Amino acid sequence: MSARIAVLVFPGTNSEDETQRLLRDCGGDAELVHWSRADSLAGYDAYVLPGGFAHEDRVRAGAIAAHDRMMDYVIEGAAKGKMVLGVCNGAQILLEAGLAPGTGSARRPTAAFTFNGPQPHFICRLVYAKLAVDPSRSPITAALPPGAVIPAYTANVQGRLAATPEHMREIVEGSHVAFVYARADGTVDASAVPNESALGAAALTNKAGNVLAIMPHPERDGWNFNHPQRQTGDDILAPSGGAVLFSSFVEAVNR
Amino acid sequence: MSERAIAIRLKIPDNEAYTALTALRALDVQVERLERSEVWLVEDTGDAATLAARVETNEAIFNPNKHRLAVLDATAPRSGEAWVYELPATGGADPIARPTMGGKTIPGVSNARRYIGWRLLDGSGAPVARRALESALERLLCNPAIEKALY
Repeated sequence: MSARIAVLVFPGTNSEDETQRLLRDCGGDAELVHWSRADSLAGYDAYVLPGGFAHEDRVRAGAIAAHDRMMDYVIEGAAKGKMVLGVCNGAQILLEAGLAPGTGSARRPTAAFTFNGPQPHFICRLVYAKLAVDPSRSPITAALPPGAVIPAYTANVQGRLAATPEHMREIVEGSHVAFVYARADGTVDASAVPNESALGAAALTNKAGNVLAIMPHPERDGWNFNHPQRQTGDDILAPSGGAVLFSSFVEAVNR
Repeated sequence: MSERAIAIRLKIPDNEAYTALTALRALDVQVERLERSEVWLVEDTGDAATLAARVETNEAIFNPNKHRLAVLDATAPRSGEAWVYELPATGGADPIARPTMGGKTIPGVSNARRYIGWRLLDGSGAPVARRALESALERLLCNPAIEKALY
């Protein structure tokens, strides 16, 4: 019997359907759990926080959601070793909740994905996220090959990693940057970073590796039909590049 | 050249302030009313009496249908109030000073710094104690990784 994955829906979440569908296509037993059913979260084995605008990004992106009752269960579950994946706004919530990079205590953020540089513009385009740690650093990435390059869509105004110098040092020393922006061929350089994110970071993990907060959306390149480099004759419903992260997550959950 | 502070507030219901108030009360912060404003600290060579009128021409930050604008008496937060700003990406602890407000030049105005003002009041309309303000900042209103608060 496969483990149960809860896809959390806050007021304002907008990527839950494709997130659930891709998790299911990757073999996960994923269900949507709306904020009004927060108490049911204790019965799930893993949590996925999709993108959107939870609580309309009021105060700061993810700030109100980090205090939503649903996050009580996510914080408790993460402490017990349950797998937690946050994408885009889900990633912002995980940082506001202190779960990633997890160098402080719960709900005491030590970093944020904040306004893009050099201008705080909405950036929506295909990017590539390259695994920047050994795959075994996180159970969520353990099924990926070293240096895996995943296509994903960045779609945010606030995706730039920022922290104080002291916290940035902890992020570096603790190998918390799980993915960095890269070119399609895996080359890492500043031109691949769409938003001046510190350390070129696209995703952070916590100390134990069971929490992953990734800003670009792998699920928006989850099937061939939305993969720009698909070839004529490809099965358009087949999983594409972005699906590999979800597959690896599902594998970790079911392990 | 004089330093002046301007506060722009919604005159329609402020849903964001209400959400923040609800969240703070759930976090046991002792506050009954919360006012949110966009605060601008500017250097101005113009006539103080006309500053409001000059800024009100900037439709990027002021909409007369939903905002009211006030030139404040002081250039620092009042009791029970904090001004929160984002730390610059380039480092340093001071807010970025720009020649424009919301991307637009205002005659006489320079070195414009933007803050979000949060004013916390108790049931009688008096400012909350400093401890309650600090608790609100620490628990919700200011992410110290990227923001700083003046109070």
